[in-house]
Amino acid sequence: MTPPPTDTVAGMIRPVPMPPDSQTNRDLLAVMKGTSWGYWFLLGLSLFFMHLAGAIWIYQVYKGLGIAGYAHPVFWGVYIVTFVFWIGIAHAGTLISAILFLFRAKWRNAINRGAEAMTVFAVLTAAQFLGIHVGRMWKSYFILPYPNQRGLWVNFKSPLLWDTFAVSTYATISILFLYVGLIPDIAIARDRATGWKKVLYTVLALGWVGSSSQWKAHNRSVLHLSGLATPLVLSVHSVVSWDFAVTLVPGWHTTIFAPYFVAGAIFSGFAMVLTLMIPIRRIFGLEAYITNYHFDNMSRFLLLTSIICGYAYASEYFLSWYSGVEPEQTAFWLRAFGPYWISTWVMIIFNTVLPQLLWFKKLRVNVPFLFVLSVCINIGMWFERYVIIISSLSREYDPATWGVFIPSWPEMGILAGSFGFFCTFFLIFLKLFPIIAIAEMKEIAIHEKAHGAQGAH
Amino acid sequence: MARLVGIFELPAQVAAAVKQLRGRGYTDIETYAPAPFPEVDDAVDPKASRVRLLTLIGGLVGVVTGYALTIWMANNWQIMVGGKPFSSIPPYTIIAFELTILFSGVLTVVGLFIFGKLPKFKIDPAYSPRFSAEDFGVVVRCREQDVAEIDALLRKNDATEVNLVES
Repeated sequence: MTPPPTDTVAGMIRPVPMPPDSQTNRDLLAVMKGTSWGYWFLLGLSLFFMHLAGAIWIYQVYKGLGIAGYAHPVFWGVYIVTFVFWIGIAHAGTLISAILFLFRAKWRNAINRGAEAMTVFAVLTAAQFLGIHVGRMWKSYFILPYPNQRGLWVNFKSPLLWDTFAVSTYATISILFLYVGLIPDIAIARDRATGWKKVLYTVLALGWVGSSSQWKAHNRSVLHLSGLATPLVLSVHSVVSWDFAVTLVPGWHTTIFAPYFVAGAIFSGFAMVLTLMIPIRRIFGLEAYITNYHFDNMSRFLLLTSIICGYAYASEYFLSWYSGVEPEQTAFWLRAFGPYWISTWVMIIFNTVLPQLLWFKKLRVNVPFLFVLSVCINIGMWFERYVIIISSLSREYDPATWGVFIPSWPEMGILAGSFGFFCTFFLIFLKLFPIIAIAEMKEIAIHEKAHGAQGAH
Repeated sequence: MARLVGIFELPAQVAAAVKQLRGRGYTDIETYAPAPFPEVDDAVDPKASRVRLLTLIGGLVGVVTGYALTIWMANNWQIMVGGKPFSSIPPYTIIAFELTILFSGVLTVVGLFIFGKLPKFKIDPAYSPRFSAEDFGVVVRCREQDVAEIDALLRKNDATEVNLVES
């Protein structure tokens, strides 16, 4: 542009011309466009199971918790198992987003959004199980300290109440974390959307333009949220583990529970990230963004956390023997060779033996193998909680009170429904918001461009 | 007054251009970036973000609330649990910890809204969707007789285009 003389400046105003959109935007926004037959089929299936669980829950409200197989001596059944399972799944999101952010592990950028969304939906799924488990869900608010005419307050010395505070804080912080990270990406989508989506994104983007003051505040907020979420994520599953460890039930009453549960949670969460991201990568052609490098790194995490779990299993057995406490020894003997031996061996093989294959580099980048392994780990981790909860409760101190717990059909129906609920929200999220953090991918791309330019000089 | 927008490809160029403009006394400068680059944000305003103040306030309020809530409630409705004192610090630390995180997390986001000036109801006409693609923009307000000088300065710093948006 030749600088115009000042008197004709007004005549020179023209809008900033629009070059073709960037490759990153086109690739990553394409995930949100169009819906195939397969998508509607999966969404329909998820909705079916979600509504099935709703119907079973209404039936359970009508008939009472007896239909869930709650009978002496096992009053914490599949609902609590599934609650712990989903809370565990929810841990990978924050680990990937917050902890890897603080360690400046840039490879997280390709998977953090998917993991954060997974976290939010997994926490929401888990939270419902507390209500389903207590039976009278409409009285769930009793667990909160609210002013009431009777002048009652909750018991702050109870691990169940710590859990309430931990899980609700975790849900709030993960939703904020997901949304704060999404704002710049929603603005990208807003600039390219039409129709009702334009309205939705305009509202949700809050007028984001990427100005220096916005980025500065955003950077600082993400840093602080990461710093806050890191101890939070470690505390949440520790508190969940204390629900068990603070009791006197043989098999539960151990000090290793907090680190053991946290490692297990990260293990299962990473497995779930793989279970979700492998098909998404394949279906939407995101091979350029989620590469072997990412799979290799995630596999290493799986291997590390699997070894920590294996160590925890071994030390539990060793200490129950070494303690010389007979009920402990019996509880652990019966875990492996009693009525729940199948669950125990599924847990040991799927969680500690199979992941050892990840020592081989070839298998760490073998995507079909990783998918199968991640599904096995999910199953194994569900059984881990099943073993801990059910086998311990059904084999307490007095053999006269022993019993055998068999999951009932309403429990299994609601378990299936929890996957339906989770998948429904995940599938809707997939079509409304970018599943890979676009701005963060650009940050890497622009850095590379800058370094390439310097190299050329 | 006129406003010029220079289009750049790399964050280092933007930072250099902004520093030169500030050196010449232009203060009404805004940058648009597709991704976070601290060098650009610091060139416009070198001060650290004040979001941290709100995070700190949230944390302090949270920890005080956590202990106050638990200790007061436990003494207001006294239940003896395991022979422990009513004002029992170790278990209440867990509640105080969670509330510290909750309050400072929420206030951090409030800080993002206040210091990032969100929500913004009117979008600057100098903003263009290309800044949410891969281009950077530097918007300067200047007197009309300075347009030529700024145009030259932006181009010297590798601006690919310079456009006039307002006068």
